Amino acid sequence: MKKKSTFILLTTVMAMSALTACSGNNEGANGNVGQPSGGNRSAETKTLRFATWDTGDALKIEQDIAKKFEAAHPGTKVQVEAYADGFDQKMAAGFGATNPPDVMYMWDFPTYHRSLEPLNSYADGDQELNKDDFYSGLFNYATIDGNLYGIPAGFTTRVVYYNKKLFDAANVPYPKDGWTWDDFRNAAKKLTDPSKKQYGFGVRAENDTYDLQGFVWSNGGSYISADGKTIDGFMNSKETADAIQLFGDMLKDGSAVLTGGKGQQSGEDIFKGGKIAMWESGIWPLESFKQAGIDVGTVEMPAFQGKPVKGVVAESALSIAKDSKQKELAWEFIKYYVSNEAIKMRVADLPVRVSVVNELKKDQDPLYKPYYTMLERSDNTPAFLLNAKWNEINRQLSAAVEAVVHGSKAQDALNQAVKDSERYLK
Amino acid sequence: MKRLLVYALLIFISLLFAAPLFWAVTTALKSPSELYLFPPKWIPTTWQFSNFAEAWTIQPFTLFLKNTLIVTLLSTIGQLVSCTLVAYGFARFEFKGRNALFLVVLATMMIPWEVTMIPQYMEFNYLGWINTLKPLIVPSWFGSAYYIFLLRQFILTLPRELDEAATIDGASKFGILARIIVPLMGPSLILVGVFQVMSCWNDYLGPLIFLNDQSKYTLTLGLSQFKGMFGVDMQSIMAITCLISIPPLAVFFFAQRYIVGGIANTGIKG
Amino acid sequence: MAQTYRQTAGNNAASFTLGRRRRWGGAVPYLFIFPWIFGFLVFTLGPLLFSLVISFFDWPIVGQVHFIGLGNYASMFTDDPLFWKSFGVTLKFAALFVPLNIVVALGLAILLNQGTRGSAIFRTAFYLPSVISGVALAMIWSWVYSGDYGILNYFLSIIGVQGPDWLNDTKWSLVAMVVASLWGQGSMMLVFLAGLKGIPKDLYESASIDGAGAIRQFFSVTIPMLSPTILFNLITSIIAAFQQLTLALLLTGGGPMKATYFYAMYMYENAFKYYKMGYSAANAWFMFLIVLALTFLVFKSSEAWVFYEGEMKRKPQKKSKSGGKVKSA
Repeated sequence: MKKKSTFILLTTVMAMSALTACSGNNEGANGNVGQPSGGNRSAETKTLRFATWDTGDALKIEQDIAKKFEAAHPGTKVQVEAYADGFDQKMAAGFGATNPPDVMYMWDFPTYHRSLEPLNSYADGDQELNKDDFYSGLFNYATIDGNLYGIPAGFTTRVVYYNKKLFDAANVPYPKDGWTWDDFRNAAKKLTDPSKKQYGFGVRAENDTYDLQGFVWSNGGSYISADGKTIDGFMNSKETADAIQLFGDMLKDGSAVLTGGKGQQSGEDIFKGGKIAMWESGIWPLESFKQAGIDVGTVEMPAFQGKPVKGVVAESALSIAKDSKQKELAWEFIKYYVSNEAIKMRVADLPVRVSVVNELKKDQDPLYKPYYTMLERSDNTPAFLLNAKWNEINRQLSAAVEAVVHGSKAQDALNQAVKDSERYLK
Repeated sequence: MKRLLVYALLIFISLLFAAPLFWAVTTALKSPSELYLFPPKWIPTTWQFSNFAEAWTIQPFTLFLKNTLIVTLLSTIGQLVSCTLVAYGFARFEFKGRNALFLVVLATMMIPWEVTMIPQYMEFNYLGWINTLKPLIVPSWFGSAYYIFLLRQFILTLPRELDEAATIDGASKFGILARIIVPLMGPSLILVGVFQVMSCWNDYLGPLIFLNDQSKYTLTLGLSQFKGMFGVDMQSIMAITCLISIPPLAVFFFAQRYIVGGIANTGIKG
Repeated sequence: MAQTYRQTAGNNAASFTLGRRRRWGGAVPYLFIFPWIFGFLVFTLGPLLFSLVISFFDWPIVGQVHFIGLGNYASMFTDDPLFWKSFGVTLKFAALFVPLNIVVALGLAILLNQGTRGSAIFRTAFYLPSVISGVALAMIWSWVYSGDYGILNYFLSIIGVQGPDWLNDTKWSLVAMVVASLWGQGSMMLVFLAGLKGIPKDLYESASIDGAGAIRQFFSVTIPMLSPTILFNLITSIIAAFQQLTLALLLTGGGPMKATYFYAMYMYENAFKYYKMGYSAANAWFMFLIVLALTFLVFKSSEAWVFYEGEMKRKPQKKSKSGGKVKSA
């Protein structure tokens, strides 16, 4: 009895859903009938959608740039869409439903490039853009299989921040470019005072393996072979393992503190509280360190004894969606966004143009100089550009790194990661 | 003695619940240099009330407030009307497939949004509703499972003699609902109203996915603007959190006495 | 259940009513539930079916879509340790959270129901955390739980206990998450409170005349009378436990060492970090069926322990427990 009624119910539901599907269509049609008025308006003023992950002051500046662009291009409205922390979700929804923004900030080109417009034909030979004025190498990060998918808008390398007050108090000389990891560890030990809950260094509980590549390269290791086909003997090489073991060791000897994962009290917060003497990061926290009243210095990364220091670049670029219906306008906007005028407005970003850096003498400011010296040292190709399945391999690698900061031996953890990743390389 | 114990317990638990919020307020009032002191400072040395104004004006929060009010008000009315009808239908009628359908109602609570999000986005996109407040309002007018379930449970506790007496007096089914059941449901309806106001006020994912332009943003979306990919403006987050918590708290404070006013204080005995 | 109706209607001896119901009974109920049916068909069913369909595809948000049959399901069960790991974490969380949530919410509701002065203030205080948005909530908890600088360990150190680094300790992080989740029990407490207020006072009076003490009264009056509310809170707790994501996402990111890597988080990462939409849909359908089955079991069992006043056979002067409910044929 019961089964039969369920069956009848199901068929009714299905029939009704077919019915409402039709009425849904009508509704859609009505919506379209209603739209032309809106459509006409947009024929007069074109709306360009620009998606950004920036927040706070950086976002305000971007809104100002958009206004300036509107002023120079009558009949254009730039809709700045600030997705902040939800950027990835919005991208997934936008691309998944083929309704992406026209212009967007982008860094993960291996994942998104199939949905992005190749920009070679726009960029090559464009006098206004003047590709040669950009720091060489920045374009490589946005290039997949010879196609350029983004124009560099900002970048950062990673440096060591140090709290001058804590160095003075412990009578430790400020670090200088050309220092080594031994110098670093000695300083960290002297700067640690458990009774005050003060530590020489902070190690993140959740590391982005991308950021660690600088250390690994500096020690002569790498995650993956140059052709992107092999990880055995690379990801688990002695050089790679030793570089990562360094963090585990510093946590074990107490000269570093484990700093919070995702939403927790971050190393930045503790640095601002004056309880960590040295912190390793990109340009992002610099402003907030100054605002928190920390007398902060920057220095390039330490070297492993007798080996050259290598850096890793985190780059943000602007891209155009393949589905955009106003690519010309989008291109105009991008060009304006990376023009000298707009770069000077974006004070939180490191300028990507050599001419701007020379004009502002940024590379001579001691606080900013290390970012540019590290840029010169950043000529290795990050692993995610070398293998299409890197996302999967990285899942294993991240687990290994996490295991190390929680006390495992780096060599063992990495061997395991290689074993678990092999199937993605077939 | 027992009284005293009850009061002591009440006060202690209240402190447990309120202490972290106290910290939120003081964080919002501190000067930046006091933010990251360890051990933390409970009371700021200078009270920076300007932090509130600064956080509020860095993005157009007044506009966000307006949008949030529109969404909250319209969707709450929608939920109250639709869920009352539906819950009554499930609670008071015998009909073919009732239990199966009700299980479907419950099942809709269990659908993880991760997977329906994109198809839903496509649907709203097709209807031309993306970047409007409609996706946040219209579905509320068709009932939400949680409230339907809640109201059904309440209606089921009402004695059936009420309906039967009214039926004999010649009232229609709708008349019974409007004149007998709804007045008795007062507290549970206010409960649903409060829940909807809270969830609407604090909804983050809906606005995030369906809204693009800042002029359409809601308060929580504005709040999330302080949490970027590379840094968190803790002070502004706390300041805005304090400010935007006031309206829902006020709603709760005024509504709670009606919620606990008693459902069966009607002279009808079990 | 039709039987119930006939009996009561028969008592009223109104064959007229019976006829009327025959004529209208068919369509009227559907009219009342129509808003939900319409909303379901338009806003829910489509996306749901869509997700079912894509669970048979390899759909990387950007790029080609391939049909792979049961491939997603197969690799999920046989080839993905994280699937089992995260499912286990969620089960553990649910086993801790669901009973605790109900006990705590009911306990607080009973405490608030003591008719004390200033109860409006206490009620508001207990409900406070529920009005705080997720972003701020996560920050507050990180401040509470931080190992070296956290307020919890500060208080523990006063009584001479060295607390762990709660969120970075594989043994404690899940417990910490349960406690943080319990903090937001306000809604459930409120539902209980409303339910408690709805229990007629004379039931307690007659129970105490019968000589029942406070504890007897709690089990023979409060619990049965509250059982529909308990059912509601039980089911919504189970669902909430299985969908727990916000805290993990904002507070621990699933760590340390996947100790708080909830199933919902796993699903979320597959969708928005690895962009495996089809795979994530398959994950979602698995969980959906599990929760559905659990709910179904709870509902089936509820026939034995939930007592609906409005559905019970009228037997004057006799309080009936589960037996009062008419089983549906």
